[in-house]
Amino acid sequence: MDNAGFIITSYVITFGAVGAYAIGIIRRSRKSSRDVPRDQRPWS
Amino acid sequence: MNTSSSLDASPRDRVTGTPFTRGLGILVLVGMVLLIVLGLFVSPADVNQGESVRIMYAHVPGAWLAYLAFIVTAVSSAAYLWNRTRSLTWDRIAGASAEVGVLFMGISLITGSLWGRITWGTYWTWDARLTTTAFLFVTYIGYLAVRGLGGTHQQRARRSAVLALLAVLEIPLVHFSVELWNTLHQEASVAGRGTNVDMDGLMLFTLFLGVVVFTLMYVWLVLHRQRSLALDDMLDDSGLDNALTARRAEAERMTH
Amino acid sequence: MNQDFNDDNIGTSADSLDLSPRAVTPRQQRKRRPWPAIIVLVLVVAAGGIVLTKFLTSAIDYYCNVNEIGAKSGCEAGHRLRVQGVVDKGSVENDGVTTKFDMSFGGVTIPVTYDGEPGGIFKECIPVVVHGILTDGVFMGDRVEVKHSNDYKADNPDRMKNEGSTSEGTACSQ
Repeated sequence: MDNAGFIITSYVITFGAVGAYAIGIIRRSRKSSRDVPRDQRPWS
Repeated sequence: MNTSSSLDASPRDRVTGTPFTRGLGILVLVGMVLLIVLGLFVSPADVNQGESVRIMYAHVPGAWLAYLAFIVTAVSSAAYLWNRTRSLTWDRIAGASAEVGVLFMGISLITGSLWGRITWGTYWTWDARLTTTAFLFVTYIGYLAVRGLGGTHQQRARRSAVLALLAVLEIPLVHFSVELWNTLHQEASVAGRGTNVDMDGLMLFTLFLGVVVFTLMYVWLVLHRQRSLALDDMLDDSGLDNALTARRAEAERMTH
Repeated sequence: MNQDFNDDNIGTSADSLDLSPRAVTPRQQRKRRPWPAIIVLVLVVAAGGIVLTKFLTSAIDYYCNVNEIGAKSGCEAGHRLRVQGVVDKGSVENDGVTTKFDMSFGGVTIPVTYDGEPGGIFKECIPVVVHGILTDGVFMGDRVEVKHSNDYKADNPDRMKNEGSTSEGTACSQ
């Protein structure tokens, strides 16, 4: 494949960025939900 | 339970994940694998561009979903500003959607730049499409910064909603820049004015799949981010309560 | 545990703490200065200014077509131009140092000299934008950008063969 480096890099960046962002959201909200007192959590 | 106006998380917003988003997540992963297989291997190379056309399947859906995300931000902002539908949930959807839009626009800019390097021969040039896109990208980074300026949740919501309604007006300018001015960037492939879709069938199908996969990713990300923003707001609201709890504990120690 | 020591209306007593979430008044929320957001905003305004300048100086009328040189305002020869045209079939010559080719648009052709080998998908019969100066009838380019179109066709070996046999002339079949 010509320019394979560029093409694969663009796919890696695309899905890598989305994946990193998704993981970031989940980790951050887990941390937040720990800090929200139990009496404030509608789900507990 | 909580009927406070500043915190209208409904009891359904339990954690950022729900059975629905879990199913959606699995669908996204399957779609991603399909898109990679079709985009990198099954779809044909282009007569002029050769293999580099494969970058299109990430670049074009990224740009479209960024437009969609910014439009959703504007619609949710209007819903917040309208008295009858005012709810901070709309504000958080607007914020989450703008954030995902900036992510997708960033992806589109980077993949576009790589694509440009191997087809145009340059990573970047200041033609009308690239310049207006850069402006749109910067505008929404500014929007996210305005959301972080502090104040009450209501102040944040009102400020950012007005900005979102102004910023969305840039989208037609970006989309039609390739027709309004002479640009290096090619004209719209599918949704252009007076352009008929002239694309190989399998290429068009792969592009369509890319749009579907990016749409599913968008919904998943916005749902989760919106809930995580709700948690952040709760955390903000509980800041004082925590301080009071600490103070009360201290007072209790003193009395014993 | 009695109630009278609580002078600040925090709660009642340890036995009957008010655990229900309470409405938050504006004063109660975080008051720390949002420096990161302010710094980002300053950078955004600066970047927006740069982008806007680029829009006004570069993006509007990014190029002149070959037939517009000397005919359209802003396209006068004698200063730096960006010129768009289609590379003429069979006109590309490369001696390893410079690349020479003819570029046409709207029935007008100009010769182009470029120091180096154009990148991207440069080839004959493809539209390009060349940055440079027109001197003595030759366009001295220092940057070549390939402007590919928005029609996508599968790279089918049969089709390539057919195109080769039908377009024998010097004109590019578009």
